Amino acid sequence: MYVKKIAVVGAGTMGADICYTIATRGIPVVLRDVDEAQLTRAKKHIQELFDGRVGTNKMTLADAQDRMGFITFSSRLEDLDGVTLAIEAVTEQIRVKEAVFRELDQTLSSMALIVSNTSALSISHLAEVTGRPDRVAGMHFFYPAHMMKLVEVIAGDQSSDETIDTVMRLAEEIRKIPVRVKECPGFVVNRVLMASMAEVLRFKEEHDIAAAEIDQAITEAKIAPMGPFFLADALGLDVAYEVAQYLTQALGARFRPSDELKNMVAEGHLGMKTGHGFYSY
Amino acid sequence: MTAETKTALLTRFQLATFLEAVRLVDEGIASARDIDIAMRAGAGLVVGPLEWADTTGLDVIVQQLEQMQEIIGERFKPPASLLTKVARGQLGRSTGQGYMAYHGS
Repeated sequence: MYVKKIAVVGAGTMGADICYTIATRGIPVVLRDVDEAQLTRAKKHIQELFDGRVGTNKMTLADAQDRMGFITFSSRLEDLDGVTLAIEAVTEQIRVKEAVFRELDQTLSSMALIVSNTSALSISHLAEVTGRPDRVAGMHFFYPAHMMKLVEVIAGDQSSDETIDTVMRLAEEIRKIPVRVKECPGFVVNRVLMASMAEVLRFKEEHDIAAAEIDQAITEAKIAPMGPFFLADALGLDVAYEVAQYLTQALGARFRPSDELKNMVAEGHLGMKTGHGFYSY
Repeated sequence: MTAETKTALLTRFQLATFLEAVRLVDEGIASARDIDIAMRAGAGLVVGPLEWADTTGLDVIVQQLEQMQEIIGERFKPPASLLTKVARGQLGRSTGQGYMAYHGS
């Protein structure tokens, strides 16, 4: 299917970055949010991204203005008229996502596809709240979405092959690298990262070695661009702990978070955002 | 950290990464090639975990896993799909076939 016009629902940083990426390729896109203040912040953020491109001579001012013109910032459902694919990028709470999926299902043409940018919730479940479960899929972008190349394209139980093909093509059209993934807890990247993170957390406890020393050994060996402890701090230790628990329940004890992580979260040390985690900021 | 401890750390990190990637292949979640692409483009790994194993040699990986299984526990047990490959002589890059196929030199 040809994707003529896109809607991104949820104007947080993720939604705004995705919207910017789409507009850069000259595809009309509506950034929808019920909160006008959020839309204003998103518009400013996207304008800054274009200004950055112009400032570093990656784009002319005229092109930047032209691409910005492909975006409609809107809180009105009427502006979704003509949308053939909607990307849901609201907060990771199932009730909120369900409400967005129901609203999109009622608003958009029966031919339109609805995809979720969730990193953890069930695509098959979200599909079931719509009358078009075959036209629902996952499109998992990585933060920051305008820089990270990967998109995990997730097929739910009922996603049709045509739906997946369309989402794969769209991802390529916006210059991303899509991979096909069948639905499972954590999908591919987060599942593998969390498995190795849990292992390194155990290693730290067993050997009583500083986080920085372990991170340094891993980055110096040129295995990964950043060590697992730095990554956990950046992600937020509360998020890391929650995901680790979820994966432990779903997939087994190899994901179980160490007591050290649990204690840090309990003490309110959540990484970069609180100024203290495995490192101090 | 001593050189020995550092080696133990890196081996453990890489084997844990590899084992989870193999589980994804075995469960049919994604292809070996796509998993490697995802870990490079989405997590910035320099080499994908399956290509890393294929390059190291799957027979060597089995030996490392068996040692880890003994020292650390059952979660490092070599997966059946890996043992099958090694039994068939598919040792990775050196034989042209491992988790992925390699053509030419």
